[in-house]
Amino acid sequence: MKKISGNKKLIISVMIIIVVIAIIVGSIISIQKSGSNISFGKKTLNILSGSENEVLEPILEEFEKQNNVNINMTYEGSVDIMQELQNGAENYDAVFPANSIWISMGDTNLKVKNQKSITTTPVVFGIKKSVAEKLGFVGKDVTTKDILEKIQSKELSFMMTSATQSNSGATAYLGFIYALLGNPEVITAEDLDNEELKTNLTTILSGVNRSSGSSDWLKDLFLESDYDAMVNYESIIIDTNKELVARGEEPLYVIYPQDGLGIADSPLGYIDNGNKEKEEIFLKLQDYLISDEVKPKLLELGRRTSFAINFENSNPETFNSDWGIDTKKVLNVMKMPTADVIQKALNMYQTELRKPSLTVYCLDYSGSMAGNGVTSLRSAMSMLLDQTKAKNYMLQASTKDVTIVIPFDNNVLDIWKAEGNDETTLLELQSKIDSLDPQGGTDIYKPLIKAMDEIKKYNVSDYTTSIILMSDGKSNVNSYNQVVEEWNQENLDIPIFSITFGESDDRELQALADFSTARVFDGKDNLEKAFKQAKGYN
Amino acid sequence: MKSKIVGGIILLLVIIVIIAFQFVNVNKPEEITVSGYLGGEKEGLMQDEEVKKILKDKYGITVEYTKAGSIEMIEQDSSDKDYLFPSSQTALELFNQTKSDKLYKSEIVFNSPIVIYTWKPIAEALINNRIVEEKDNSYYIADTSALIKLVTDKKKWSDIGVNDLYGYVTIQSTDPNKSNSGNMFAGLVANIMNNETVVDSSTVDTILPNLKDFFGKIGYMEHSSGDLFEQYLKTGMGAKPMIAGYENQMIEFAIENPNDWNMVKEQVAVLYPEPTVWSSHPLIALNEKGAKLIEAMQDEEIQKIAWEKHGFRTGVNGTINTEIEGFYGIPKNINAVIQMPNPDTMQKIMDGIK
Repeated sequence: MKKISGNKKLIISVMIIIVVIAIIVGSIISIQKSGSNISFGKKTLNILSGSENEVLEPILEEFEKQNNVNINMTYEGSVDIMQELQNGAENYDAVFPANSIWISMGDTNLKVKNQKSITTTPVVFGIKKSVAEKLGFVGKDVTTKDILEKIQSKELSFMMTSATQSNSGATAYLGFIYALLGNPEVITAEDLDNEELKTNLTTILSGVNRSSGSSDWLKDLFLESDYDAMVNYESIIIDTNKELVARGEEPLYVIYPQDGLGIADSPLGYIDNGNKEKEEIFLKLQDYLISDEVKPKLLELGRRTSFAINFENSNPETFNSDWGIDTKKVLNVMKMPTADVIQKALNMYQTELRKPSLTVYCLDYSGSMAGNGVTSLRSAMSMLLDQTKAKNYMLQASTKDVTIVIPFDNNVLDIWKAEGNDETTLLELQSKIDSLDPQGGTDIYKPLIKAMDEIKKYNVSDYTTSIILMSDGKSNVNSYNQVVEEWNQENLDIPIFSITFGESDDRELQALADFSTARVFDGKDNLEKAFKQAKGYN
Repeated sequence: MKSKIVGGIILLLVIIVIIAFQFVNVNKPEEITVSGYLGGEKEGLMQDEEVKKILKDKYGITVEYTKAGSIEMIEQDSSDKDYLFPSSQTALELFNQTKSDKLYKSEIVFNSPIVIYTWKPIAEALINNRIVEEKDNSYYIADTSALIKLVTDKKKWSDIGVNDLYGYVTIQSTDPNKSNSGNMFAGLVANIMNNETVVDSSTVDTILPNLKDFFGKIGYMEHSSGDLFEQYLKTGMGAKPMIAGYENQMIEFAIENPNDWNMVKEQVAVLYPEPTVWSSHPLIALNEKGAKLIEAMQDEEIQKIAWEKHGFRTGVNGTINTEIEGFYGIPKNINAVIQMPNPDTMQKIMDGIK
């Protein structure tokens, strides 16, 4: 073996050092890598949320920008959120309903964790101030019973959301039951069989004109109608008042019933589908929403952010005491009954007590619906007409409901009717929907005029009346003016809801919704969901 | 030739370095991920960055968890889990009765007494009614029997002088069939109804109707102690006037949220019931990985953090040796303790109020 010279020794030593340094540096880099997210492309957080959180979108966008992530909000009613959780909620990373009870009742798969309340807002009565004064509700303690008496005697007309679709509606409805039962310690299943209670509830609910699937939309509807009062979140009453004042109109006066309704505690919880990265984004988002940076923005929206709900009011323009808003009052809350009692009460609401619906479905059977289109349509209608399916979404028909289906292409093809909620009758209606095949062109106006003719045969004020038009294309004929004329002439005040599909002309449908104070639901991605939402408003 | 030698030496060096690295790694613990069911009241502890770091650095453990009520988790399928971390001896005993073949090892790692969380105006009214007493100017003790009697006698808030509240006096708890704090509270109330002696199979039937009535009045019961406590703090006195919870929950909240604590500390009141029941938190290992977590959770540093930041008592009898700064007074010892009913009796109680 050759001797290695001193010079070479030096070279080798230097190389050793270089190699060692390289390995150490390399390993440090790799350790750092494994500890952080070195990944490309934006991460998305899919959140299943109550519609009242739509106003938080600008705040969420700020977070998206700061963190280079996407937040994808899907708005559903509380009952639907509960249902989705029960089904595993595999497409969602987080849940954000109005009240934690819907997570608690829905999370049978134990997937929700890190649940924190982001804001609170009580469910209250907002009554036009002059009316509230006249009824003697200003400056004294008022109970739910006091208010219900005025509704029963028709001295007060009011609006609320559907109890089976929306948290504020469910809360108010349960509050009414407590009040009518004389405020027992808790509502029991037997209490609900009380005939007098049922009669009183029916009377009260018959005074609700037009129900709504979401609290936020109830505000829009209120602003466009002429009612004295609505049951809604304090934050939404504040929002409504800001708009009323801007228009120079009379604001609503907030009444916190002494016996209490409920508080929306807006919990944001993580749905664990086993993705660590998403959990990190979630925790960051949750911290952000309760941070001192975001709190003033939430307060500006009329949400309460403090612990223990009461706070020193530093925002008198939003939490305006002239509107009856009191941030120091102790807010009583009724006790939520057990899950089976809630379920029973909601079922009763849906099938017996609510104001009956008179719904006319105008369904597009034009040639372009052939194939997937008509298959989706049939399955969407079956979700509403097959009562076993409808029950899952709390969308069952009631004994007094009237369901009319008008299939059309460029002509009205037929008129099918079903009265009441007899399962066989409704399934027969479904089989007609299933056996008609699509063909021909599209005229969306003829069926609407026909629908109005059919509606005129009933006493409209006995029903929550609406037309739901589903179309997949542009109308070949434009008789928009004729529809508007007829609508005005008959003074019908019927909302014309639309469901878009395929190539439908959204502007055409939006115009109909705008003049009749209705909404357009997007059925292009999910027709069933759009039908479900539209029905939830009726 | 020269380059061959140099090349050979470099290769040799690389080998040596690799071997050296592996040697170093021998001293580092093997990296494992341990997953299981966790009671909601310990979420804060397991999310604590310091705790996570000690587990990782010292023991090589990353903990994953699914939040579940103590009783609920016993009934779940745990075949893919390494541990269960409920908050009661009862849960452990139920596990032993139904799934003893799955038990690898278990150890009580924390203790916490059941307390009643309420609000200052209520505590003051209760003092006036001689049901609550303030001790050492720093904490409240409550006569458990007298407190329960307010509920069973259908007293209204106005009867005891709390005029801001509407309706009847109630103490809310989590669902005794799902969550441990509610379960322990049910055991405590049952004992009180049995003239402050531990209920057993011979006496349980006598008190069951009253107990059923007591819990029936609560209405909807939450499944997790953590969620109930969060609602208590957020929705306030009119929504949650009195709730049963663990002592550690308020301590943890105060330490984690000093600003929020400053806002609520003048409003909240913690009642130490006399007698009360102890909630022990047994860590149930289902395999070797779970057993490693037991060892790690008994680490001195973790036990110190568990008390100082999360309020879990860790000594043998739950005796504490530190004051928590900026916090209200905490009794050093919890002496007036009554045993929980035995598991068979508890099962009867749970079935009775289902």
